[in-house]
Amino acid sequence: MSQEKKYGLIAEFETPGAVMHAAEKVRDEGFKHWDVITPFPVHGMDQAMGLNRSRVPLFTLVGGAIGFFGGMLMIWYMNAYDYPIVVGGKPMFSPMYAFPVSYELTILLAAFGTIIGMFLLNRLPMHYHPAMKHEAVARASDDRFYIIIESTDPRFEVKTATTMLKEIGGQNVTQLED
Amino acid sequence: MSTSGTKENRSDDTRKAAGEGFAFKALLIGGAGLLLTLLGLLVGDSPRVGLGTLIGLTFWLSIGLGMWFLIMLFHLFDAGWSTVVRRPMEHATTIFPWIGAVFFVLLFFSLFASVDDGIWKWMNEDNTVIVAGETATVEEDVLYHHKSAYLNNAFFFLRTLLYFGIFIGVATILRSASFRQDGDGDGAWTTVCRKWSAAGIILGGLAATFASLDWIMSLEFHWFSTIFGVWFFSGAMRAALAATVIVCLLLVYVGSFRGVFKQSHLYEIGRVSLAFTIFWAYIAFSQYFLIWNANIPEVTYWYVNREYGNWWWVGLALLFCHFFVPFLFLLFYQNKIRPGRMLFISIWILAFHLLDLYFNILPAKHAESGWPYYSFGVSFWDVTAFVGIGGICVWAFVKSYLSQKPIPIRDPRILESLNHHE
Repeated sequence: MSQEKKYGLIAEFETPGAVMHAAEKVRDEGFKHWDVITPFPVHGMDQAMGLNRSRVPLFTLVGGAIGFFGGMLMIWYMNAYDYPIVVGGKPMFSPMYAFPVSYELTILLAAFGTIIGMFLLNRLPMHYHPAMKHEAVARASDDRFYIIIESTDPRFEVKTATTMLKEIGGQNVTQLED
Repeated sequence: MSTSGTKENRSDDTRKAAGEGFAFKALLIGGAGLLLTLLGLLVGDSPRVGLGTLIGLTFWLSIGLGMWFLIMLFHLFDAGWSTVVRRPMEHATTIFPWIGAVFFVLLFFSLFASVDDGIWKWMNEDNTVIVAGETATVEEDVLYHHKSAYLNNAFFFLRTLLYFGIFIGVATILRSASFRQDGDGDGAWTTVCRKWSAAGIILGGLAATFASLDWIMSLEFHWFSTIFGVWFFSGAMRAALAATVIVCLLLVYVGSFRGVFKQSHLYEIGRVSLAFTIFWAYIAFSQYFLIWNANIPEVTYWYVNREYGNWWWVGLALLFCHFFVPFLFLLFYQNKIRPGRMLFISIWILAFHLLDLYFNILPAKHAESGWPYYSFGVSFWDVTAFVGIGGICVWAFVKSYLSQKPIPIRDPRILESLNHHE
């Protein structure tokens, strides 16, 4: 084995059921930095991996709030403060007429917040991932399922992790180059 | 095997007997409520009792209509998740004939009421209206004469017949096709439903729109809003979704939906409910905003009336409690998957849907003294009408429910619905 730093371990599974039960065991072992690669979405995998719900909605909410209040503030500043104009005998500022624009800005910035949040939380754009070096991983888009445990995990130790992956049914357990 | 079979049959029988007992009680309460309301129409402040009855009628009808629209949407989009929840909605559409019967009693009352006692002012030429700030009769009202080609007693009567004909006709076809599929399992019934839904969604959209214009908007026939029908539709959808949650959770409690109606179904209804909460706000605000912006006295008076006295607080309650509270509540995932929380917000939405109907219906009529029109308040006759019509609706629902399978067991999409996953 070479001395250079390894990214982690990869193990292959043949069925969605097998990889799901294996994931439950990895979760119960207390690993944090690990992932499952499947050719299609497997229902119940989030629970099997012990994942919490995505935090993207938080970004959406913040984006939406900025859009709404930013829109109101902008219209108040332009129409009632910086350059007041009377239009149709209406008040200089009213949330009534400011509402449609603020609403549109809410939607726009909520969408921006969602996209930005998704990119940040997924650490995108990611042009390279060590799993790409693994020859068999092309099959992860076809008929094979993989579990990767990263060496950065505090509980990671090559020998024990390898034994564990084999015990839970993993085949071709190999190390991933970084 | 055989003993467990009879045991199950027996528990089914007791369950059915309990259901029939419940339906009978609902029928008794409903009948008593309706008789009391009729008494109120004869001896009480009859326009006020009539408006209260109209509020009760539109409340229960809007639930049925919303569910009917949902059934047609499910068929048209070939929805997979919803097959399980479609069945209780089908039972709910059995209320239409009964609502129609009560509606015609109210209509006859208003047609033959003495001067100023009916609820639709334009129905009697001697009724009092305010024209340009002055008291006048309908006969003297030039605005009425321009609208009389549409707003006259005979045409109104025929249109009401037509609306109920469409509601009852299409709903009955869809319901019986679905029930018959339980028996023979023929996939062709699904096609029948889809075709009728395509026609029904257009007929129903037009019928519900014009019905709301005729029954609610024409209460103040000087006023007009082109978005009014959409307001009624959006409210009906919200009420229907809320009622669906309550009914499905009750069926889980009773037993027939246990293990069938799952978290994922509740979540889907919660999401649609959130969408229609925003839609309702969008429509209600658009109506207010356009009238506010155009600032034409012909139409602004409708909102000016509704800023008077305690209606001001009702308006604010609608804004904050019928929109903001459900909106913020339904944004959160956990609130959409926990049955208790969904039950809470569904009852909340139904309560404020009722308030929304009060806001749109009750200030229509000029009271005799003091106030220019009825202030907000719940009268005894409102309660009798609400409970009376509600009792009949519950009875019709339970009767249909007991006669059929709890879910459409041979629908082509039933497995997809049972296995539905977020």
